[in-house]
Amino acid sequence: MESTGCKYKIGDAVRVAAENPTGNPRTPHYIRGKCGVIGLVHGVLENVRDHRGIHKPLYTVRFDLSEVSTCHDQDSICVDVHEEWLNLRQAGERN
Amino acid sequence: MSGKHNHKPFEGHMHDFEAHIRAVEEDLEYYRAKRFEPRIIYLIRRGVVTFYDLLKARAALKRSHLFFKPKQTQGNNIEARVRHLEEWLDEYVKGIALVSARAVEAMDMVTEDNRKERGDYDDFFKIKKKEHHGTLEERMVNLEQDLRDYQELLEVFVQALIQRGWSTREQLQQRWRQLHEERSWAGGVIVAKAWTDPAFKQALLSTGREALREMGVHQGKVGKLVVVENTDKVHNVIVCTLCSCYPYDILGDTPWWYKHESYRTQIVQNPRACLRNMFGLEVSAGKEVQVYDSTSDVRYFVLPECPAGTEGMTEEALAKLVTVDSLVGAGYALEPSQRREAEQSGGLPEAPRVRPD
Repeated sequence: MESTGCKYKIGDAVRVAAENPTGNPRTPHYIRGKCGVIGLVHGVLENVRDHRGIHKPLYTVRFDLSEVSTCHDQDSICVDVHEEWLNLRQAGERN
Repeated sequence: MSGKHNHKPFEGHMHDFEAHIRAVEEDLEYYRAKRFEPRIIYLIRRGVVTFYDLLKARAALKRSHLFFKPKQTQGNNIEARVRHLEEWLDEYVKGIALVSARAVEAMDMVTEDNRKERGDYDDFFKIKKKEHHGTLEERMVNLEQDLRDYQELLEVFVQALIQRGWSTREQLQQRWRQLHEERSWAGGVIVAKAWTDPAFKQALLSTGREALREMGVHQGKVGKLVVVENTDKVHNVIVCTLCSCYPYDILGDTPWWYKHESYRTQIVQNPRACLRNMFGLEVSAGKEVQVYDSTSDVRYFVLPECPAGTEGMTEEALAKLVTVDSLVGAGYALEPSQRREAEQSGGLPEAPRVRPD
């Protein structure tokens, strides 16, 4: 599996960092500081046509729509986020 | 790629000229301001090409044409003129692909460089897009003039690449022919096979590109591929809010609205309202809408639900029910009766799509 060496596993509750100046800039602003759950573990992906060097492992993080928007439909938004942007949520933390 | 994979997604006759003209306007400005001009600026910054090379190239070109046949405005038939503009735009987009490949090789450029240069992360760098006003006739005349101008700059740039020794005319001509032969639309055959072959479907959902290799379909090369399945419980939709990442290597040209800011912002703010307002698509309350916001490393497409009334149909016939919209989650696959009606009446009813902001 590609998931060797990955810090998080499917189902882990995570929070996206509010900022990370040295992290991959391709982290949308609307999920920064928000809570989600790891939905897919992609691992380290090579993508030489796209960018130089290798990014940290990549995850698809699932957010409740109401966490990232003012809309309260029971829908969800899944966003690809690299590991350096994610932290495990502490026990007792919101959600 | 075998011949049967080469058909294009279904397009009917036009019902709404204004919508087609707006699609050309939006796409043309997107390609100019996001794909072409930032690339020239990138190369000028690094001295690969200079403004003075462009002047010299312009002088050398005079009236000869390297790749683009000069186009004349077509008569008075509006539909013919609109089609002509769409083909012209397609030629312009191919021209950008042509010079991009050489620029990438000359400078060891990666996509991320272009994103920085065109202001994806910093508005300071954004190239202003043109606004469009006037009657339909005035807008068509403007588009014809813009296409003439934009194509001329593209051609001058090609000539400059040759004069600076970054490419030869032969290399470019060979690539130009390839660009006209390539047909990357494989959405229909992939989905039809997944509908009829459960083992393939399983492989597609779990391994992405690997499954395409076994199927003998062009498997593309742009990032990891993830296919998400629509069911009676979940309706998936794809977007790229940061730019417009799309598995174009498998699904062909990105639909213009997918690149439009209003789709990219609204679909993650209120997915149901966005689908309803832009595409006339009502997702039942019993289904969860799941929006996938992709970044460049993973590309997504949707495996739509198989429509009713398709029992006993061949894969080839099923493939014709698959629309581009259905692969992004902005529509459903057509029912056979809808497809027949569309063919008989001369086209699909066109959804209003993205409204002006």
